[in-house]
Amino acid sequence: MSMQVRDLIKAVRGCKTQQKIREVITRESALIRNSFRKEDKINRPRNIYKLIYIHMLGFPSEFGQLECLKLIASPSYIGKRIGYLGLSILVKENQEVLFMSTNIIRNDLSSEDRYIVGLALAALGNIGSSEMLRDLAPEIEKLMESESSYLKKKATLVAIRTIRLVPESVDRFIGKVRTLIGEKNHGVVLTGLQLVLSIVKTEPETIVKFRKLVPGLVRMLKSLINSGYSSEYDFRGTADPFLQYNILRLLRYLGEGSKKSSKLMADILTQVGTSGGITKNVEIAILYEAVLTILSIESDSKLRVTAINTLSRFLSGRHNNSKYVALNTLLKAVNTEPKSLKRHRKVIVECLKDQDISIRRRALDLVFGIMDKQNVESLTQELLDCLPKAENEFRYDITAKICTAIEKFPPNDKWQIDTLIKVLTIGGQYIRDDVSSMMTSVIGRNPDLQYYTSKKLFNILLNDRYRNQTFLQVSSWVIGEYGDILMQKSEKDGELITTTQALDLFQILLESSRTTDGTKYYILTALIKFSTRIEGHDELIKKIIKPYREHVNVELQQRACEFFLLFDYSEIRDPILDRMPVFVEKEIELEIEEEISENNNKGMNYNLQENTHTIQNQINNIQNIQNIPNVQNTQNTEMNELLMLNTDTKKTQTQNKQDSLNFLKEIFNGSSSSNTNNMNNMNNNMNNNMNNNMNNNMNNNGGQDLGLDLGLGLGLGLGLGMNNQSQRQNQNKMQMQKQQNQNQTINQNKNQNQNQRQVQNQSQNKSQNQNQNQNQSKVQNQPIIVYEKNGMKIEMNFKVGNIRGAPAVMSIIKTTNSSPLLISNYLLQVAVPKTLKAQLSQPSGQNIPPNGNGSINQQLQIIKMVNQKTQLAILLRINYVINGQKIVENKEVSNIPIIF
Amino acid sequence: MIKFILIVNKLGQTRLAQYYTTGLSINKRVALENEITRRCLSRKDKECSFLEFRDLKVIYRRYASLFFLVGVDEEENELGILEFIHCLVETLDKYFENVCELDLMFNIDKAYMILDEMALNGNIIETNKKNIIAPLHIIDQVSKKLK
Repeated sequence: MSMQVRDLIKAVRGCKTQQKIREVITRESALIRNSFRKEDKINRPRNIYKLIYIHMLGFPSEFGQLECLKLIASPSYIGKRIGYLGLSILVKENQEVLFMSTNIIRNDLSSEDRYIVGLALAALGNIGSSEMLRDLAPEIEKLMESESSYLKKKATLVAIRTIRLVPESVDRFIGKVRTLIGEKNHGVVLTGLQLVLSIVKTEPETIVKFRKLVPGLVRMLKSLINSGYSSEYDFRGTADPFLQYNILRLLRYLGEGSKKSSKLMADILTQVGTSGGITKNVEIAILYEAVLTILSIESDSKLRVTAINTLSRFLSGRHNNSKYVALNTLLKAVNTEPKSLKRHRKVIVECLKDQDISIRRRALDLVFGIMDKQNVESLTQELLDCLPKAENEFRYDITAKICTAIEKFPPNDKWQIDTLIKVLTIGGQYIRDDVSSMMTSVIGRNPDLQYYTSKKLFNILLNDRYRNQTFLQVSSWVIGEYGDILMQKSEKDGELITTTQALDLFQILLESSRTTDGTKYYILTALIKFSTRIEGHDELIKKIIKPYREHVNVELQQRACEFFLLFDYSEIRDPILDRMPVFVEKEIELEIEEEISENNNKGMNYNLQENTHTIQNQINNIQNIQNIPNVQNTQNTEMNELLMLNTDTKKTQTQNKQDSLNFLKEIFNGSSSSNTNNMNNMNNNMNNNMNNNMNNNMNNNGGQDLGLDLGLGLGLGLGLGMNNQSQRQNQNKMQMQKQQNQNQTINQNKNQNQNQRQVQNQSQNKSQNQNQNQNQSKVQNQPIIVYEKNGMKIEMNFKVGNIRGAPAVMSIIKTTNSSPLLISNYLLQVAVPKTLKAQLSQPSGQNIPPNGNGSINQQLQIIKMVNQKTQLAILLRINYVINGQKIVENKEVSNIPIIF
Repeated sequence: MIKFILIVNKLGQTRLAQYYTTGLSINKRVALENEITRRCLSRKDKECSFLEFRDLKVIYRRYASLFFLVGVDEEENELGILEFIHCLVETLDKYFENVCELDLMFNIDKAYMILDEMALNGNIIETNKKNIIAPLHIIDQVSKKLK
């Protein structure tokens, strides 16, 4: 026999562990199920009651769903009551069982006992599905006109649900509004107002019609405020606040966009806005709603200023709740009322120091909202002041906002750098990801500030070595990168910064147990850069790097080994460790903007994307390196050049004609000749290297703190790329040496000569590139006929541009048919050298009508993947059917006047 | 619009739960309740009574050992809901005479009825205590007679 409800509750309460509770519930559930099977009518209400309790505890109760139906079908009120309760709690999610109850509910809706009708309405209002409500809409409509206000208000709420779930039924209820709002009973009026709101939201065109209600609503509000409408609804001295704020809310919807209606309600809004006190929650609730209305409708500026002032009063009050809503509302008004908002700057800033994190967060948003070019310096200072006291989670928010402010309204670059350094030092590890990249880019484009920044960072480092890792990384990068400037100028200034001092500092940092391996990468890189920036310290630097060749961290070990080897190849060391190029600002801004908009969700993607930038650079490097072995093999050279398309133009252009075709054909035809094998090997090599690099970078980044990665991807990542470059070069050299050992033909001198040659080549290329750049601006925009046969003509025009910051060529391919026959199943395929990436859009059709009566357009985008001059060559494969004949043809396009 | 009303004790056990939205499985519901309750209980007295949770705003208020939590959408007047919670508590108080956790546990049906009289479909219907309790008194009288 199952137990009493009371006993079950007591039993559960007596359980000490969750396990015990589960045991009790399982046992009881089994008993209840048994009782249901036996059709035990007497205990049914009790069992459902118990199931409701069981459900609330989070245990399954589905087996009771049908029993609920049986209960609501029973004639007794008590049974119905529990049945409906069960229905709205246990059956809620089961649409099928719910639908089965429709007829029982219909019966109950026409019952004579108004409490039974009330039960049915309540259930419908809470759980009615769209099918049920559609079926029962006539009954609901009738009940809205019932004599009893008890049923009227419930039926109105069911109507609101009906409108929400079955929007097309809205017309049915529009006519009922006026009488409902005219009622005396507050409950009915309140539900009537909510009905209007839901109608207006579903069918915005009805607003015009409902504007006629405005004078009545204003009167109602006035009498509520003035005379205490009815003592029944008095709430701590305020007459029915719920009715008041619902009227205000409805007025908001009706006043929006209508000057006339807004004018009608201006007086009462002024009265509400100025008369109410702000000591009691009830008063504030109404005031708050009034302010929202004033700010949304077409009110005059005086009223708006009053509203903002009211909110400011909330802010200086004692109640946290009103502070919170005020800040939220002010945030919404940032764009419309910037001037009056800025007048309350002090109060807003004060909220940054509130004890409640939700309030501080809002205040931070708001401070950022009112920031402009004039006040950015002082407001940023305020934010910086909050930083040391803030808890870690909030610190991150603050630094993020400061960074955005720095980007958005920088008064000057020096201020930008100063602020960034402050953020780095105070913010600790809770720093937005791109602080470091911003820092490097700002320094990069301001040669005047390079000394200032590196000196400042150096001094901070010197005085307090155990800063956070991000700071260490950024400062070691900066000091490494601009070491020469730092040393030269500080000597002139009489500052006491010496190279040995810097090297000592790096050594101490490297040896410190508080420096993470991730930071040590940067320090090692800074050291190796130092060797090229300042002469005469090679031995000392070697000494510092040496022990890390046996470091337990593989990445660190690898770097140390490579850097160490690099000393033996001073010819390539300099170009490898050359100063970073200045970042293109546009690109950075664009990315930052995107990052802000997509913020955290896509942060990871960006990380990847930025890495691809560096990877692309690395590919470039790898290819340069791959040049070396191939020089030995004349047969391969041509191919190689073709792949790179980067050697002197004369040579390329002549060779291109034959070879690019060969090369491109391989793309389609697969490999057969030995040449091709070589090619493929090379490509494989390249891909492998690329993958390796990618993995490496991912590993680096996936490592300790994500905070750093994004920044480094952009700024320091390039530095990393450089390291990898040297690393690859070394690897390649090793491979080469192996080959050489096998062949026993070529000695190392030759090898080095080649390296030299390569460096020379590079510098030659540079000057050539510049020339080509100038020529490029004259690129023709005229279409070239690339194919003409069987009456079909393919034309292409070319335009040089940018896609996502990478140089690209956009081309429109137009295919026409002047033959008397229909061309069908037209398909165009495009291949380009590996250094480029082609994207062909979907063709505008598959068939071209005869006699020139139509054309197919297609867009081709070719993006340069590698930072090298490239002669554009395209291979087309044209497939089509003409006269029932299937034609497949390859066509090489090499006469394109574009080198990019 | 109100999305849910929860009453939990200070140990985080749910004592009453009414959802005005559908589509929550039992597991999800329990997880949601645990999460919200945990966050509310960990808040200090001096912090405001609002909590942002996913796309909801949770407005909570503590009365002795019970926490009343109301989840609402963006448009709802937070301060008004606080007043509604107070009204709910006063009504429960009036009906149960000094309401406590046990009253709710042993009379969950009555508690639900009171709630249904006050709010339906996520909208407030009635805030007059007398009107709310009237039907309950009638039921009580009828069931007394039956006994």
